[in-house]
Amino acid sequence: MTIATLPGAEPTIALTQPSRQGWWRRFRRRPPAVIGLAGVVIVVLVALLAPLLAHYSPTVSQFGQVLRAPLSPGHILGTDELGRDELSRLIYGSQSTLEVGVLATLLAMVVAIPIGIASGYYRGPIDMVAMRITDVVLAFPFLLIAVGLAAIFGPSLQNIIVALGVAQLPGSIRIARAEAMALREQDFVQAAIVTGVRDRVILFRHLFPNMLSPLLVQASVSIPAAILGSALLSYLGLGVQPPTPSWGNMLASAQTYLYNDPWIAIFPGIAIFLTTLSFNLLGDGLRDLFDPSMR
Amino acid sequence: MRVYILRRGGISLLTLVIASIVVFLGVRAVPGSPATALTGNTNFSQAALAAINREYGLDKPLPVQYVDWVGQVVTGHLGASPVTGMPVTEELGNAFPITFELTALSMLVALLLGIPTGVVAAVRRGRAADYASNGLALFGLSIPSFWFGIVLILLLSVYLKWLPASGFISFSQSPGQNLAHMLMPAFVLGTGVAAVLMRQTRSGMLETLRQDYVRTARAKGLSEWVVVLKHALRNSLVTVATVIGLQFGILLSGVAVTENVFGLPGIGQLTINAVFQRDYPTIQAVALLTAAIVIVINFLMDFVYMALSPRVRLAGEPG
Repeated sequence: MTIATLPGAEPTIALTQPSRQGWWRRFRRRPPAVIGLAGVVIVVLVALLAPLLAHYSPTVSQFGQVLRAPLSPGHILGTDELGRDELSRLIYGSQSTLEVGVLATLLAMVVAIPIGIASGYYRGPIDMVAMRITDVVLAFPFLLIAVGLAAIFGPSLQNIIVALGVAQLPGSIRIARAEAMALREQDFVQAAIVTGVRDRVILFRHLFPNMLSPLLVQASVSIPAAILGSALLSYLGLGVQPPTPSWGNMLASAQTYLYNDPWIAIFPGIAIFLTTLSFNLLGDGLRDLFDPSMR
Repeated sequence: MRVYILRRGGISLLTLVIASIVVFLGVRAVPGSPATALTGNTNFSQAALAAINREYGLDKPLPVQYVDWVGQVVTGHLGASPVTGMPVTEELGNAFPITFELTALSMLVALLLGIPTGVVAAVRRGRAADYASNGLALFGLSIPSFWFGIVLILLLSVYLKWLPASGFISFSQSPGQNLAHMLMPAFVLGTGVAAVLMRQTRSGMLETLRQDYVRTARAKGLSEWVVVLKHALRNSLVTVATVIGLQFGILLSGVAVTENVFGLPGIGQLTINAVFQRDYPTIQAVALLTAAIVIVINFLMDFVYMALSPRVRLAGEPG
């Protein structure tokens, strides 16, 4: 199975496990990771505090204020084609963006971890079935899954969460599986098996807690990927529906005004870029902590 | 080795069959009757509905319908689009070359950008070149491709007027114009994949450069370039090949949005339009075609591993 194992899925358990304080001290010494963490914290705060931060409604049109340039009085980033304050829409747009990124990853983890652990621990038929599931999911690009869901249920935020979550399943299953296979050969697990500890206890008490760090790294790279995916789907009209703002659908409507009013296409893109960059910096920092050989 | 090929081929075929069942059932899960989905009409008398069900074989049991459908697909009968009235095969035939060219060119961009920067970053680990390559990779991973496309259109088409903003001209019509229209989309799509390839090449190289056989090669007095390119890179490419296979599915999602931004009438555009026009025969055909392409590419990648890695070639790798 080495062939189909995802890159980055190599088990990391051989590393010595330093104390928690040690982690934080080493994390702090990496400026890019700290910048990433700060960026993530800021985006999360903006999303949570949107009603306090935004001066205008993100959805109510002001037809007297259409397409004001940035730095206009009262509208620091200008207004869009319906006179809505660009900054307020960006602030509210962070909510759906984070929601999709986090929920899609969470959904994938909740489904993938039990499948991955069981297939890596038991091997045999369970493993065979799990691997065919991942093959089939991999055969459908996430866009196609979203297209299918949109065709059946109509476009919505829930659909893109499910589509992006399903698309992440293969990667997460393979990581949990690779870890379970490696952990199974460790002395403490072998000892538990020999002394007749029940499978359920081995799976949840011995295997699961010991694969949290690679799963955390996987989550930190899945979230930005899901954010990019959700922006893409919203841009195509398959995700968050107007007038609710998302950074993707803001870009979609901005494209019509590209020639004369390019700024409304610039800002949402910068917002997506900075958010995914923050998550990626944080993810790289975490990966370096757990697997220093790749630094 | 023959066992290995047969085994991988069998698994690919099984995956394709399951994928086709998913597509088949997906169209039947659409709200309303499949007759509505397949013909695009909603108002039928009972008699008309029964006639249509008979014509499309929808009155037969599902397994029979599936076998009939597979038979039609294999012989190239994918039905007609209820929106345009054109046979779906013809629509796909028109759109496919555009998407194929875009995908091939962006893979080329990705390989040319990703692998050399990955090698340089690993060899010059911890120095300026490593940081620069990592920075570029992070940029490529974080930037939304369609926004990157919009920014490039603004810069290169609207302000500098160097390249056409959108549209397509076929290669046979004008090779120069064709490439001018493809340059930006291929670059936009390629950078994201290049970032992944760069990182994978770098970590693969770091791993192999530590191996004993690399030390032996150096000890034999081989020049550093021979060691890096012939001994280390060749083995790192095994994992890179895995990533290329996996990236293809992601690339195909990116293709749709890139075609949308640059107004290229390829498979991606066809799919998006089909969704909004509820053109189910087209969606069904695209889904099946895409799944088949991804499965075939991943199967072909197995041969690339075998060519690259003697370990896989000899071991008869279990699935």
